[in-house]
Amino acid sequence: MNETVPSARVALSWPREKLLMGLSPREYLSTLVTPFNFVAGLILLVGLPVIAYRFAFGLGAATNLTQVNPWGLWIGLDVLSGVALAAGGYVLACTVHIFGLKQYYPVLRPAILTGLLGYFFVVIGLMVDLGRPWRIPYPVIYSYGVTSVMFLVAWHVFLYLTVQFVEFCPAVLEWLGWSQVRRWALKLTIAATAFGVILSTLHQSALGALFLMAPTKLHPLWYSPFLPIFFFISSIIAGLSMVIVESMLSHKIFHDQVGPGEDVDLDAITLGLGKAASVVLFTYFFLKLLGVADGGHWHLLTTSLGHWFLVEMLVFVLLPTFLFAHGVREGSATFVRGTAVLTVVGIVVNRLNVSLVAFNWNAAERYIPSWMEIVTSITIIAIGLLTFRWVVNRMPVLREYREDQGVREFTGERRAR
Amino acid sequence: MKVSRRTFLKLAGATGASGLLSRPQTASATTPHPDATATLAILVDTTRCVGCRGCEAACSESNRLPPPAMAGEDAVFEEERPTSPEAYTVVNRFHGAEDGGAPTFVKKQCMHCLQPACASACLVGALEKTPDGPVVYHEDRCIGCRYCMVACPFGIPQFEYSKALPYVRKCTFCRDRLAEGKEPACTSVCPSGALQFGTRKDLLEIARTRIYQNPDRYVHRIYGEREAGGTGVLYISGVPFERLGFRTDVGTTPYSQLTWPFLTAVPFVLTLWPPFLIGIYAFTRSRTRAAEAEAGTNEENRHE
Amino acid sequence: MMPHDLPTMYSAKAVEYLIAVAFLLLFIPFWRFVDRERVTAPVAVTTARRWLGQVVDWFAVPSDLYFHPGHAWARVDGGDVVTVGMDDFAQKLVGGVSAIALPEVGARVRQGERGWSLVYDSKSVDMLSPVDGTVVAVNEQAAGSPRPSGRDVYGDGWLLKVKAPRLAANTKQLLSGPVAKRWMEGVCDALRARMSPDLGLVYQDGGLPVEGMARDLDPANWDEIARAFFLT
Repeated sequence: MNETVPSARVALSWPREKLLMGLSPREYLSTLVTPFNFVAGLILLVGLPVIAYRFAFGLGAATNLTQVNPWGLWIGLDVLSGVALAAGGYVLACTVHIFGLKQYYPVLRPAILTGLLGYFFVVIGLMVDLGRPWRIPYPVIYSYGVTSVMFLVAWHVFLYLTVQFVEFCPAVLEWLGWSQVRRWALKLTIAATAFGVILSTLHQSALGALFLMAPTKLHPLWYSPFLPIFFFISSIIAGLSMVIVESMLSHKIFHDQVGPGEDVDLDAITLGLGKAASVVLFTYFFLKLLGVADGGHWHLLTTSLGHWFLVEMLVFVLLPTFLFAHGVREGSATFVRGTAVLTVVGIVVNRLNVSLVAFNWNAAERYIPSWMEIVTSITIIAIGLLTFRWVVNRMPVLREYREDQGVREFTGERRAR
Repeated sequence: MKVSRRTFLKLAGATGASGLLSRPQTASATTPHPDATATLAILVDTTRCVGCRGCEAACSESNRLPPPAMAGEDAVFEEERPTSPEAYTVVNRFHGAEDGGAPTFVKKQCMHCLQPACASACLVGALEKTPDGPVVYHEDRCIGCRYCMVACPFGIPQFEYSKALPYVRKCTFCRDRLAEGKEPACTSVCPSGALQFGTRKDLLEIARTRIYQNPDRYVHRIYGEREAGGTGVLYISGVPFERLGFRTDVGTTPYSQLTWPFLTAVPFVLTLWPPFLIGIYAFTRSRTRAAEAEAGTNEENRHE
Repeated sequence: MMPHDLPTMYSAKAVEYLIAVAFLLLFIPFWRFVDRERVTAPVAVTTARRWLGQVVDWFAVPSDLYFHPGHAWARVDGGDVVTVGMDDFAQKLVGGVSAIALPEVGARVRQGERGWSLVYDSKSVDMLSPVDGTVVAVNEQAAGSPRPSGRDVYGDGWLLKVKAPRLAANTKQLLSGPVAKRWMEGVCDALRARMSPDLGLVYQDGGLPVEGMARDLDPANWDEIARAFFLT
């Protein structure tokens, strides 16, 4: 597509300018024909009916969950892994606003958006999993089980979504052009950041604390009174790695937005994040070692699940520690990016281990997700990615905002939206 | 250290507000700690159970559930059955005796723990330990998250997977019958005296007396006396409990205590993190300002 | 769960303390391992710091030109013909080259795509064209001879003349005036970042090395450095 928007400013209607980015409906629709959209469309075509089926006929019909295995892929992947990987929001906000490392500002907004959308789609995934999803506000508005760790999780996710929205508000307000409200929202940034860090500390660790209730069901190598700390520290690792991965993809896919004069040294940022990830991974490895020592279950390392535990520790924790360090020392952002992908996989492996593999490890009936559960998870992730793209295309997440000029309009090639 | 007053007030307000979210709690579930001596309980003597399954029939009738499966058929005992959303209690048969003699029949249902894991885990308080003993379920609150099922070490709560509008189901201790001054349905129909209803204190006495008076007949242990911090359903048996399908790894700590340290830590984090974060913020801000000032002076020096 | 008898607890705690001590001992070496980036610049002298502070002033950024972030410039001659060349920074970065491979007259160039290449020592580095259009003239003199650092890159050191039909759209993507100067400051920061603060470069009598800063920084991989700045 080589069409350019004419340089003379034509007065466009609000929906056309804001929603269709200045294109006519026909032009806009023609930009939608891309391979990615085709695949996403296929996913939705299969996934949305499956989700409808789940709601029509219940969890028993759509999932392989049983009385012995009440939690499955949707909890392990969409909720637990999703929350961990959305941690980039609070980690980067803390880095930029609290630690004052302004050079990471260019990746801050995408990280906050990833965090906001991540948590939002975690809630969507949760609602697909709940037996009575319309009652999801109950712990906040109706009945309070204050002794429950999950009550804490519910409240913190609710508050944190609000905080993240406040953090992301400036971008939305810039898109809408409401500069007065925007200036007011910007003032809240430090307080929102601090509040967000506190909330995140608590609910990331609370997700680990959930499993404290099942000492007889969780394999001793993974069960530890320090599960909350493990989940919290690994969420920092997840956040850093996810920001590296997401910024790499965004800069490739949305490169036309990062215009001249704003050319961001993404490589330097990537190396910095990789260095931090390396140090946190190093610490995390020793924390997990302490956990094993505390449990005194060294002999279990020789069992097959013990071997899997070693794989998780060595391949997905210790190896990335040194790969990140190597990449940083060599100044190779590409190397760091590859390691970040490995680390993201490792975080998912860990969350799935705790919730599905090590959980009920000694039960007679084990759980394997049904095809409908897998399709649903993929669909939710696909919708999340599409939303991310929709927002980035319209709002100044990667682009700059100048108060006198509004969001910088861009000419040149257009790709699919 | 210069923190703007506005920022400080915002943070203080945020801390205070979030501090209100975690009120200090007593060790038990939502209700005040039940007096363990006066709580209602059931004693199950497996040496007396003949496997008639009258308790199953009475339970399903009282709770308006479908009649028990394979009633009257011996084949029902061939496989060990769990409870289900439509069978709050089941009787299973075990060949536990060493001499290969008579089988043992064991009734399985909710243990009505003194400090239940399920009630502690429920985020909306749908499962609640009542002061007189039974752990009851409030349908109107349940959101179907199934955390109670994860938490219960006995695997008791059953989820209605087959329904589009599901609930969690388990033995209710016939609370509505208790309100009318009656016994639970199961204990009221037991023909052999295997089931006995009373206060926990009395039933413990009875159990200990039976064991003391018939030391060869019983294993010297009351299952449920200390398991998971003590349960409302007590078992005595002539056969070691691990051979009767009982979980022996449950431990004696009340399950509500397992997350207690974490929940206690929450207000501490809420209190410690704000000054910690604000301190780092102020520190780095003053450092960048000093660096900028120095760079500015250098600029001036160079231009002179 | 672990039995809570004294000997088991004692040994478990002992192991935990060992692990914690091992962590403390290993952490500092690990941090030093991660924090040190491979240093490529030679020669350590104290005057380096003063030189670095003056880097911004080294590179000329005339206000009447349009700059592309890949260090090419364009000057509007009249109508839709522009003169195109490489900027002062690019020249000082690469230094004297054996040749410049320019496109032929009549060739099409596109903004943001390869315009020409700088060749030295069997390595060639591309530079991006600042505008779209057709090449109408080529500076043969610039193409052939080695380039001493004194040549005027903005004057008779021009490289191409291009007929650019979409000039208005193209210049919207280019930098000029104070924005261009700010961009150059950012480039200098990036250059500075490649030099370790401890070690640095010393240029006697204030001049820059004839062989170019890139080759001075890293003789073996000067082309990678150049490509990083030229966005190719």
